Formats: sequence, structure tokens, C-alpha cells
Amino acid sequence: MSEVVEVCREDAEDAVRIVSALLRRGEGGEAFRERRRRFSWTATEAGLLAPAFAEERGTAVRVRRGRESLLVACDGDGPEALREAAREASRRAGGSPFLKSRSPARSPAGAEAFPVDEEERAAQLGAALHRALPDPRGLSVSLTVARVFVSRAVVTAREIVTCGTVQRLEAGGVLRRVNAARPFAFQTSVPWIPALDLLAHALSDAARPVPAHRAVEGRVDVVFSPGAASVFWHEAVGHPLEAGGGERGSVLTRVARAAVAPPGVTVTADPTRGDLPGAYLADDEGTSARPVALLTDGCVDGLVTDRRAAGGASNGHARCGDFRRPPRPRLSNLIVAPGRASRDDLLEACGNGLYVREISAGHADPESGRFTLFVESADLVRRGALGAPVGPFVLTSDVLSALQNLHGESGDVSHPASGLGLCVKGGEGVAVGGASPAILIRGLTAARGRS
Amino acid sequence: MSAGRDDLLERLLASARCDSAAGETAEAYDRRGTSIEIVEDAEGSRLSVVTERGLALRLFRSGRTAFAASPPESADRLPAEARLVLGRARARRGARAAGPVAAAGASGPVASLPPDEASARALLSTFRSALLAAGEGAVSLTEAILTAGVRTERVATTAGRDVVFGSGIATLVATVAGRTPAGSMSARVLASASRPEEFSLERLAHHAVDRVLLPLRGRPLAPARGDLLLDPSVAAPVVGRLAPAFFGDEGDVLLASRTRDGREAFAAPAFSLVDDASAPGGPVKATHDGEGTPHARTVLVSRGIATGRLSDTAAAVRLGQPPTGNALRSAYTEPPAIGVTNFFVDPSPGVAPLDLLRALARGFFAAVLLSRPEVNLAADRFRLHAAGYWVEKGRATDAISETLVEGRLSELLRSVAAVGDDLRFVPSGAGGAGCPTLFVPKWKGA
Repeated sequence: MSEVVEVCREDAEDAVRIVSALLRRGEGGEAFRERRRRFSWTATEAGLLAPAFAEERGTAVRVRRGRESLLVACDGDGPEALREAAREASRRAGGSPFLKSRSPARSPAGAEAFPVDEEERAAQLGAALHRALPDPRGLSVSLTVARVFVSRAVVTAREIVTCGTVQRLEAGGVLRRVNAARPFAFQTSVPWIPALDLLAHALSDAARPVPAHRAVEGRVDVVFSPGAASVFWHEAVGHPLEAGGGERGSVLTRVARAAVAPPGVTVTADPTRGDLPGAYLADDEGTSARPVALLTDGCVDGLVTDRRAAGGASNGHARCGDFRRPPRPRLSNLIVAPGRASRDDLLEACGNGLYVREISAGHADPESGRFTLFVESADLVRRGALGAPVGPFVLTSDVLSALQNLHGESGDVSHPASGLGLCVKGGEGVAVGGASPAILIRGLTAARGRS
Repeated sequence: MSAGRDDLLERLLASARCDSAAGETAEAYDRRGTSIEIVEDAEGSRLSVVTERGLALRLFRSGRTAFAASPPESADRLPAEARLVLGRARARRGARAAGPVAAAGASGPVASLPPDEASARALLSTFRSALLAAGEGAVSLTEAILTAGVRTERVATTAGRDVVFGSGIATLVATVAGRTPAGSMSARVLASASRPEEFSLERLAHHAVDRVLLPLRGRPLAPARGDLLLDPSVAAPVVGRLAPAFFGDEGDVLLASRTRDGREAFAAPAFSLVDDASAPGGPVKATHDGEGTPHARTVLVSRGIATGRLSDTAAAVRLGQPPTGNALRSAYTEPPAIGVTNFFVDPSPGVAPLDLLRALARGFFAAVLLSRPEVNLAADRFRLHAAGYWVEKGRATDAISETLVEGRLSELLRSVAAVGDDLRFVPSGAGGAGCPTLFVPKWKGA
């Protein structure tokens, strides 16, 4: 498979002219091009099973007029696809630009000769799985491991804006033992070989037998590892600060500028962090990516927006799952500034409670602020020291209480989270990332779950 | 949308250059579809119109399989892409291109009219009115998303299969907010059907209202022994999670562990499980699966005893049975995998749900789920976070804002004493899971 995945840009002048001709006075809009390649393997405890290669190319033309917006999408990312989509958009929007058909440009497919190193990659992946599961007896693995390349560009009435080309290694599925099963999700955007090492490490961790100890139930103080803390910030602070929450907004937008967390807590949505999976150069409407402070020094500061919510003041967080869907304000990478405490300091401050290593999923209700986190891996904390591992459980609370009960000091290193991968909202997934220090939150509610 | 007869598929199959002497076979797949999506929220309305075509190729050799897919403009590369990795795949018995379909099932009806924007908008308007009426001023619609699409598929193989068939799908996703003096909350409800006209809007509206108001109006209930009545909207997602136990030979371990290698019943005699792509009320209405095999009605559990499996062509060979037509393609970019169409608890022995309610001496009627049910087939555990009503002598005495119903999954299934006749479906994977009201007397955890 070719490593070169670049969305069509050869017709830049024509494309800009078409979009410019399409949009009438008072209308906003753009065209969106996407090319996606996915090379995947079905992986079992016995090795790699069925390889699959898939490519998607698509074009969408979007027109916004007042409170109405229109998206017309079709397959192909070349000039003819753009003409076809623009013609249909114009017909539906009531315009009539004259877009002369041209013979379809020859696809660059032939020129994209694939290097024959896929066999070597498969061997490397197989070896990584073997390192992760050297003795798979008693374990049943059903995973899909995929290398994904996505290239996107936005054609505005003035220029073509490159959103960037993203390369990821994704893995997801289920690990089963005789009397237990657990989901597994992994994603990273680091280069291939280090990515395989990270995958092997995560898979090895996930394949450990489920501890016999059950988690405590009821109110509990919890130290979150950096990876688990990233999921907490994403669900509890990130989602409530996405624009487009309706007339009443969310539990956090209703208290804009208020101090909701201890001083020193700063949370930023940052799509410019190229080392994290949620990075891009420009968002899916062509607005340049830039960091947006969501919490500054404990106060609610901003929210991520798109052009529909903020017009020209969009802060570059319009994202769509693929070319078929309209963009909406979504998170990118959520970065939390580190503090000064070591992990031992936080465990000592916790006293008795839980140390959460891995959260597999979570959700938050922006209206009430209630959130739920599904914990896959955790240890007891007894008298400030790590104790026995405990089985899966669920943590719940509401956003404002949790932030109020956040310990004033956080960990001294902000680590990227490998477990935070695809964020699904309304059935539409976008790649996200996070980096956070370890944190301590008091008074969360724990309940048994995923037993 | 046309039925899609050009020579692209033939050219793709020919360019695969299968070495039949070496037992090599190929399967080509062509999907054309058109869909509309209407989103209405506080900021206005969005219309999306998508027209798409994609092709896929599977190569089979000595039990090995490789898959490649792309839009038409780069389809000429697919044979090379698939062949590149075929040698690295592990062999598995039964992997081969399917042969001709019997004449009666050689083709299905192709989808006719593309979705209509005006009627879709009218449907959303009707739903909004139904929701506001049911919510009596305490519930509002934050966002509604209606998607409707039709598609035509064609499967051809070097082993002689050539089938064209069509299908439709519609989904309605609504985010609703409830506000009472006790607080506020929002939730998302969804429904799917083969066509928008088949949605039961009144029922979805009432379900949405219960979903956001019951947790605000009732009292919490500590788990306690009592009778248990599960509404179809609560029971159906649990039923959907049973499906992997019936996926070809891969579910063997799960099914064996739940039935002690067949020595015990899977469920109570009142409980029969069926997969049927033509079931009335089911969201799937299709004639063929993603390999072009005609769908069948497959009885998986008959009066509590596990009797059948769902299969694709390869799993059918391994199981030594005819394929059931359950190779599903979620997109043209995904290879077919075993899945459900309309997977449901048979309501034919059922009684009216009101009769089941009257049979409740003292217990909990679970009306809505508050979060995704946790169902762990491997660990034989389940856990439902639900709201509903406390019932005594057949009468609801209290609204319950939340409670946990949990325990052994096998015990729940074997304790079902009666089922209702009110089969309803919820979306599940690429298909639907359905269940009527379930009555479980003297459940120890409720």
C-alpha cells in the first residue's frame, strides 16, 4: 500500500472558481475533499487472519444561508466529483452555475505504485502481537488492527486549505478468558515501529487476568493515572464546552467565567499538538487550527466552535467523521497543564481509595452534568500506598461537584493518553487525543460494573 | 438510482485473473446508494444529500482470504492490492467464493424511489408535535436527526453467483431535554426502520418523555427481591447482546459455557430466539446478505433449547449446514462478517402486556434504560440501570427514578415465565434486536 495519501489538489484554480461561482451573496460555504486508506488485519490469539485494504475518496459541497445549511456529497475527490456535487448543490439551493462537464481526469491511481513492504509490516505486526501475548493459553482474542491514513482539504471561494494528512495505528476488539471478557481500544499517531511497541505494551496490560478483588462501592477518593485523567477531562470538561448545545447550553456554559475548579487548573483544546491523534492543520471548514483555553486558572474560559455556531469567529474546531457528514464543533486534543506533585504525593493525599489506571469508555450529559466512566483497570489505595488490583467498576458524579472536589495539586508530568482514541458523538467518530498529569478527585461514586 | 448494470463489476472480476486450477476464486461486490439526512436543532436546519458507489473484491485461495475496496475511480487497483497480501493471510477452512443461488432466490427487488425530503421534514415535524404533547411542557427537543437511504447491491463470483438486490434503511435520533423543579437532564433516543413511514412516532415520543422525566420524578429503589417486568425497550438491548453466542462456530465456546456443553437449557421454555430478515416490525427488510445468499428465518433457541447458528458461506462449510444468509456488510469498505438481521424473541406464545402487569404481585416494572446495559456473556453477568414503576397487585404505586437490576444472565433467561405479544425492535449492529415484554417472577435482585 502506498504511503502517499494526498487528497486531490491539482485542479486548485478550477476548484476555487467552482466554489466561488456556487456561493451567492449572503451565503457561506466550501467544498471538502477527503481520501482515506485503511489497511487492516483481523488478529486472534493465533496470529493475523484476514487482511483487508479499503480506500474511500469523497467530495462534499456545503452551502450555509442563515439558519439553513446544505451538504451534497458524492464519491471521488477529483474535479468531476466537485462539479457533480456543486451542480446538485446549486440545483437544490436554487442557483444555476454553468459548470461545464469535462472528461474525468485520469485518476492518479496508476502513478501510485505501492511499495511491496506490506509483507514486512505484517510480519512486524505479528511479532508485536506475539510479544504482547507470548502465552495465549486460556485467552481468546478478537481484534481488528488497522493502519489508517486520512488526507483532507477544504476548497473555499479563495483558496484550497490543507487540513493535513493523518496516520494512525488503531486496534479495537474484545479479549476473553473463560469467565470474563473486556473491550480493548488503542490508538496512536506515532511512527510505525514505536507504535507497535506501544500496542504490544497496551495489549499485554489488557490481557492480564481480571483481578478477583471487587472494587469498593459508594463514595470514594480516586487518583487517576495520566491516561485515565485524560478521559475524565474529555468527558467532564471537553464535551460540555463544545458549542451547539442548544438554547440552554451545558452545565459549564451556563456558568461562563465562573471559578469551577481550583486555581492553577488550565485545560486547553489544542489541535496543533502534532504528536497526538486529534491533530490537524486546519479544521474541516478550512479554519486554521489553534489552541483554545477551556478552563484557565480554574475558571470557565471558552468553548470550541465552528462557523455555524460562531460565523467568522470560529476557533477552528469544526470536525466531521467523514465527507458524508456536516462538520460540528468537536474536541481535538485536550491538554492539561502539569502541577508539581509526584504520584506518591497524590497517593498519600488520597489515603484510602482507588488508583485508576485505565478507563475504557465514558459519557456525560451536558444538561445535568452527570458523567459516567467505565474503569477497566485499577488498584486499591491503602494508607497512601498501592494495594491489590480490583475488578472493573463504574465511576459517576456530576461535573461541578467533581471539579470542586479536585485536589489542588496535580501530577508533575503531563503524559499523552494511548487509550483515548475515537470519540463518538451522535454516532459519528472523530480521532481525539489528550495529555494530562495524574489527578486526585474526592467523593466520586463507585459501583460494580462490567463484571 | 439505477439498478446498476454496467460492466465495471465484470471487469473487476475478470481482472482478478483467478487461477481456477489452483482453486483460486473471487467475489466482486458493487454498492450504489443515495441517502438524505435532515438535522434540526436550535441553530436551524441542515440537509445532507449523499450519492455514493463503491466496489470491493475478495480473493480466496487455499482457505486464505484477502479483501480490497475502493470507489469506482480506483477500482482497477483492487486485484493487485488484494493479491499483495493474500499470501500472508492465515488459512481457515471454508473460505471460498459462493456458488450460484437457486433460481427462486437469484435476485431480489431493487430499491425504488430515493428518499423524499419533504416527507422527511413532515415526519420530523410530526415527531416534534408528538413529543411536546407527551411531555406536557416539561420536555423539549434539542436535536432531531432523520436519515433515510436506499441502496442497490450486486454480488458476482467466479463460482457462478450473480445477484442484484435492494434495501432501505431509516434512522431517527432525537436528543431530548426534560426539566422539572427537581432538576434537568437530557438523553438520546433512537429508532430504526426500513423506511421512514414505518417509524412509530407516538411510541418513540412517549419513550423519550419517560427517559428524561422518570429519573427526575421518581424515587430511587434499592435492589430487593420481587417480581420483574421488563419493557421491550429494556429487554431488547439485552437480547441484542446475546447474538455473538450464535455467530457461526465462533460462538461455540460462549454457547457451550452457557449451556454446559448442551446439557442445560439456554433459557426458559417461554423463550425462543429467531433471526428473520422479513420479520414484521423489524428494521431490516432485505432479501439477500452481503455475499448474495438469500436470507432465511433461522430459529436459534426453540422453547429454551439452543438449536441453531447464524452463518456466512465459510462458517456454514465448517458447521456442515446451509448458509443462513447472515454475512452482513456495514459498508462497502468492510468485508462481510456474521451479524444479525432482525434478531428477536418470538412473541407468538405471548399474552397482552397488561395481563403480565396484572400478574405482578409485588415488584419492579423497568420502563426505560438509563445507560447501555452491561451484558457479559463470557462472565454470565448482566446489569441494567433502569427507571420505571414499583407495582403492587398489578397497580403502579410509585415512580422509580433509578435502580439496578443485576445478576447471572443465565438465571435471568431461565427465569422468564411469560412473554408479551408486544414485540418491539431497537437498533443493534447493522440490524435490529427485538423483544416483547418479559415477566420474571421473584427475581432476587429487583
